[in-house]
Amino acid sequence: MICEQPPQRVDVLVIGAGMAGCATAQALALAGGDHRQICLVDRHRGVCPRFAGEFIHPRGAQVLEDLGFMAPLLAAGAVEVAGFAVLERVDGRYVELPYSLLPDARPRGLAVHHKTLVRTMRRVVASQPSVALCEGWSIAELLRDEAGRVCGASLRGKSEGRTVTRDVYADTVIGADGKSSATRRLAQLPEQRSQVGFTVGLSLTDAAVPGPMFGNVVLGAWGPMLIYPIEHLADGSLHYRMTLDLPPALPAKGRQLFDFIRTTFVPFLPNPLAAQTAEALDRAEASGQALPMAPTVNLSTPSAIAPGLLLVGDAAGCSHPITASGMTMGLRDAEVVGRLAAEVAAGTGPWLGERELCRYKVLHDRYVPTRQALAEAIYQVFRGGDAGARAIQDALFDYWGSSQRARERSLSLLSCAEGRPHVFISEYLRAARYAMRVCIQPRYARNLPVVDRLRTARGAAQLAGGKLGQVAQVVWANVRPQWTMQRAV
Amino acid sequence: MGSSAIPRVGVHLQEVRSQVESYAARWLTAAADEKPWLLQVPDIGVACEVLLADRLFCDLSADERSGLYRWIRANQDPSGAWLGLRGQPDLSLTAMGWWACVEFGDDPQSEHLVRARRVVHELGGAQRANFSVRIWLAMAGAIPWSWLPSMPAELWLLPASTPVSPHRIAPWARGLMTPFLLLAQGDARVHLSDPTPLLLCRTGGELVAPRVTSPGAAGDLLQIFDRTLKLINKVPRGPLSRRAKARARAWLRDSQQHHGGWFSARPTLLTLVAMRCMGMTFDAPEIRRGLDYLRRSRGYMRMHRGPHKGEVFLAQGLGSGPVSVQADLLASADAGARRDALDGLLVHEIREAGAWQLRTDAPAGGWPHEFGAQAYLDVEATCAVLGVLGIALRDGPQTSVRTREIWAAIRRGCQVILAMQEADGSFSRFERGESNVWMSRLPWRDAVLLSAGERFAAERIRVTAKVLLRLNQFGWRRDDDRIARGLQWLGMRTQRLGRFDTSTLALVTRCFAAHSGRSPHPQLPACEAALRARQHEDGSFGSLVDTAAGLRGLMALDGAPCIQAHRAGAFVARACKQHATDEPPDLGSRLHYGLGLSPICVEPARGVIDLVETLREIAGEPQMSMYIQRGEE
Repeated sequence: MICEQPPQRVDVLVIGAGMAGCATAQALALAGGDHRQICLVDRHRGVCPRFAGEFIHPRGAQVLEDLGFMAPLLAAGAVEVAGFAVLERVDGRYVELPYSLLPDARPRGLAVHHKTLVRTMRRVVASQPSVALCEGWSIAELLRDEAGRVCGASLRGKSEGRTVTRDVYADTVIGADGKSSATRRLAQLPEQRSQVGFTVGLSLTDAAVPGPMFGNVVLGAWGPMLIYPIEHLADGSLHYRMTLDLPPALPAKGRQLFDFIRTTFVPFLPNPLAAQTAEALDRAEASGQALPMAPTVNLSTPSAIAPGLLLVGDAAGCSHPITASGMTMGLRDAEVVGRLAAEVAAGTGPWLGERELCRYKVLHDRYVPTRQALAEAIYQVFRGGDAGARAIQDALFDYWGSSQRARERSLSLLSCAEGRPHVFISEYLRAARYAMRVCIQPRYARNLPVVDRLRTARGAAQLAGGKLGQVAQVVWANVRPQWTMQRAV
Repeated sequence: MGSSAIPRVGVHLQEVRSQVESYAARWLTAAADEKPWLLQVPDIGVACEVLLADRLFCDLSADERSGLYRWIRANQDPSGAWLGLRGQPDLSLTAMGWWACVEFGDDPQSEHLVRARRVVHELGGAQRANFSVRIWLAMAGAIPWSWLPSMPAELWLLPASTPVSPHRIAPWARGLMTPFLLLAQGDARVHLSDPTPLLLCRTGGELVAPRVTSPGAAGDLLQIFDRTLKLINKVPRGPLSRRAKARARAWLRDSQQHHGGWFSARPTLLTLVAMRCMGMTFDAPEIRRGLDYLRRSRGYMRMHRGPHKGEVFLAQGLGSGPVSVQADLLASADAGARRDALDGLLVHEIREAGAWQLRTDAPAGGWPHEFGAQAYLDVEATCAVLGVLGIALRDGPQTSVRTREIWAAIRRGCQVILAMQEADGSFSRFERGESNVWMSRLPWRDAVLLSAGERFAAERIRVTAKVLLRLNQFGWRRDDDRIARGLQWLGMRTQRLGRFDTSTLALVTRCFAAHSGRSPHPQLPACEAALRARQHEDGSFGSLVDTAAGLRGLMALDGAPCIQAHRAGAFVARACKQHATDEPPDLGSRLHYGLGLSPICVEPARGVIDLVETLREIAGEPQMSMYIQRGEE
């Protein structure tokens, strides 16, 4: 139900009614039945105007289906996507990584306009009698009991035109307020944040992409360009989103940004997609509106819990959107929270006690490092900012072209369907082996000097070596005995 | 245009800008005319060789012969010497100038030729002249072939990856050495006027033999090696040598470019002579095409110094029109002229594999030094064309087909110039490794000819700065390792800024400024200070062309243009307001790097190009425009 004012006492208070918050609230509502009360608050009435994620892998799509969001989303125009398609350069190699290769997984992911997604999810979650959705309220303070445990939040909102503050008490507070989470900041949880750059979004209709129902990644410009369908329009056409990666030191602002994109990105797109993009830029410039833009941030996993508090979605760690795994991770968090909540829903004590929070952290810390390591590595390789990254990029295409099994294994990791350490390590080693071969055999030059080959090989080795720490972290996160993690918590 | 003649009044900037843009279009028309104007004017060396070779080809018309002769004569200094483009007496040019005049019919005892002969003798005699002069002397029978370095034909049988393979030397040198090999092996003879008065003799009439190697122990050893080779060359060597020569001949046949020449005028001329010596008749299609190429390389020029300053002459250029200058003119011209000429640029993009790809890991793309030279990439020309294409994208509505072609060409061009980066971070112009030729380290006297410039020469600095600037335009930043390495190299090579001319200094400053981003490049403050220190009292940086370059350097710095930039801008605008009365318009020229034995050229249209760019940048600064229009001081 939609409430103008949040209730004073609930079992769980969810801060942030974006994708992760709505999914978590829905998972809790389905797990808790009628005798548990959940309050879902968001600072924005309607939807957040910010440009955000829109691509969901089958693993996340399955969660949406389980939580009852899938049918309303499809009815609202969401598009079932078939996988990833990567174009090395306009005249380079093209590889399709279809989800249908993944065993025991949904053959389709989902892509949907972010505003449509949030609007639909809020509508669905508001229909749950145990959920109170309060829009226009933001967190001002975390409330703590004598032991310092979080026991609620002080919310600020507007009532009858006046700014008011209201304290809401809850057994557990869940922070789902994104990468710039105010909840995390108020809880003083440690974070390691670095800005990678900016992502600019463009809208295209019936984009002439190599894989129309795929998430298309085009390489060759300053940063990778991602193009995917996000909406079935009423006239039968498809609405696409194109995201462009800009450097952290923005080279142009305002109207100059249009010219910058025309010169530095458009020539590196295949035709006629480039022409469509140029037209879209002309339209956007003529309309006088700024291009939607969001910072891309690397936020290595802070502690996802504190006494009485847990974080889900981007608030619990995020990485570059190149692997489009952020939404899937948020949905997975919601799934885990729902499962843990279901186990103790029948009890009479506080819902989601310390034991459940610890278990959440244990599970969360197993799958998140894999995603973050992959996103960081793939972004570095697809951007091709140094000789090693370019060699590994070249090697990846060789590897993906070598067999269907290779594509399947890579996709299972990229789409968060696989997290087993031995698969991760074997993929890492295979990529390194192919990279060495690429360094030794250049593609065009018959007499490439040895010094150039060595520099490329050294770069690839440095890049691969630099990732050893992350590989070890991923492996340790997955093989680490559970008791050591609980003890650490 | 001197600064003293420029009145300090307000200037309507838009008016001046349109006027100078129209000059660029007029230069383009003049360069494409039936009687074309040269965009790069070299020294008289090639023209002299053309006059000498005409004894063999009988191809020049009377007008051409007399035209070239007039130009050669006009270049002679009152001292009798022919000067290099930097103003110094040049032994090789003087020797060739004397010979060409005699070949044309001048009396060797006439005063101007006697003075020239004296200069040659003072400088050590024609046997000490450059490689090209000595080849002609050998072909005329004035000196033995053994006075030239010997080159084993078997080198042509070596794989391209070996350090002494002909594929490892610069393309210009390859174009010269291969016909030289065939000429030397065949003891070629051409009947020419007697050049022996130019040779320095001992009292008994015996010629003073020159060393083919540098002085020193290593040179002595190499001299012995050279003699040994020459002895071996006299011994019949069987099929290996024959095969090697056949391969060199095949290379000559296969290397003729679509424009009919071999890389540039000098290699073309020597190849044509070699082909005649190989037995081809002068009506053979290869020879006819080569001669046509040489004809297209001739054009008009206006003398920019000396007693004949301002007079127009027929001159022999190094090629049939440099793409880099034509592209720069197109970038400077108005949108209409650019739109019409764009197809011509796109058509000439390199689409075939070439020797430059041996050590460059990139697919075919980019542009050659001149139209029709499909096998020779020129990074400088590619940068210039990419600049035009970038402007063309902003020109407004294009046909979709052309826009697609432009995008594709930009993509390929960027990929190619990125792949032309050397291991040390600098960028090569024609081929990777062109200035780091192993054979040029041997103490041969002519070893320097084997490489294209020195590794740390100003030419390489200019090419590297141009590439980095152009790549910046298309989105490459310091976060890419190739750009970072290029900037690092540039930073290291520009520690001693005093040795650079103003235009190079300004170019480097612009490059550092463009790649500065959040934090300025460490070398930028030093460049800025050096550039500011070069400004004169009147606001100029010397010549008008240097002032335009200096002003662009100042305007590239972070923040609003400073008062120094305002004053330089006012100087430039006032100078441009004075209408150029010549046709094509002359707003000043600049020296540019040539090829091989003509290492420096004059670019007469450079003033127009630089000034258009400068005026466009001024127009983008409203405060500066107002300052100029008010005529403030």
